[in-house]
Amino acid sequence: MANFLIQGPVSPDQIASQVKNLGIRKDMGGHSIFLGQVRDDLSDGRRVRAIEYSAYEGMVSNEAEKIKKIIFNEFSDVLEIVIIHSVGILKAGEISMFVLVSAGHRDHAIKACQKLVELIKERLPVWKKEIFDDNTHRWQENG
Amino acid sequence: MKVKILFFGVLSEVAGTGIKFYDDVRTIEHLKLRIFDDYPEIIHYKFNVSVNNEFINGDRELENGDEIAFLPPFAGG
Repeated sequence: MANFLIQGPVSPDQIASQVKNLGIRKDMGGHSIFLGQVRDDLSDGRRVRAIEYSAYEGMVSNEAEKIKKIIFNEFSDVLEIVIIHSVGILKAGEISMFVLVSAGHRDHAIKACQKLVELIKERLPVWKKEIFDDNTHRWQENG
Repeated sequence: MKVKILFFGVLSEVAGTGIKFYDDVRTIEHLKLRIFDDYPEIIHYKFNVSVNNEFINGDRELENGDEIAFLPPFAGG
């Protein structure tokens, strides 16, 4: 599997292990983390109980690296970027994405993290099928 | 040219498969015509096309072993 994808939800242990690795580089002063969670949206009276994520694995690595390059170029203080996105069926409430931006200072860490999430939504070849509580489903598109 | 076609997202449902091989297509436009013939419903969906993991615009000649993906709008993040 591409090294940006994991099967199933991002677990608290995986998040903890990312945090545990912080502090090795002493030139970093700020880290911004964003977690995406599966939300139980209501649509025409049906509630989302799960989302099935699928990805074009061969292209995910290429696109994730391009996204990182864009962020490094735009935010000169950013030193490291971690992107982890789930594939498979995730229940409402589970964490489907983890991103971490490490920078010298908080300004770029926070702003770059926001831009990173937008770029992932725009460019990462991932698809979402909403599975409703009545077992119907719908393919979702990013706005 | 023998090529591999990948269908993603809703297109895999419309085509009833995520993967298909064609062995007599010369260009992307030629391939699209074959696909619309085999899966007429696909014409109603928006999608981009990639060849060997790179997006392409317009037509292009295909080579043996090319991997072509039909990519509906992304929905990650």
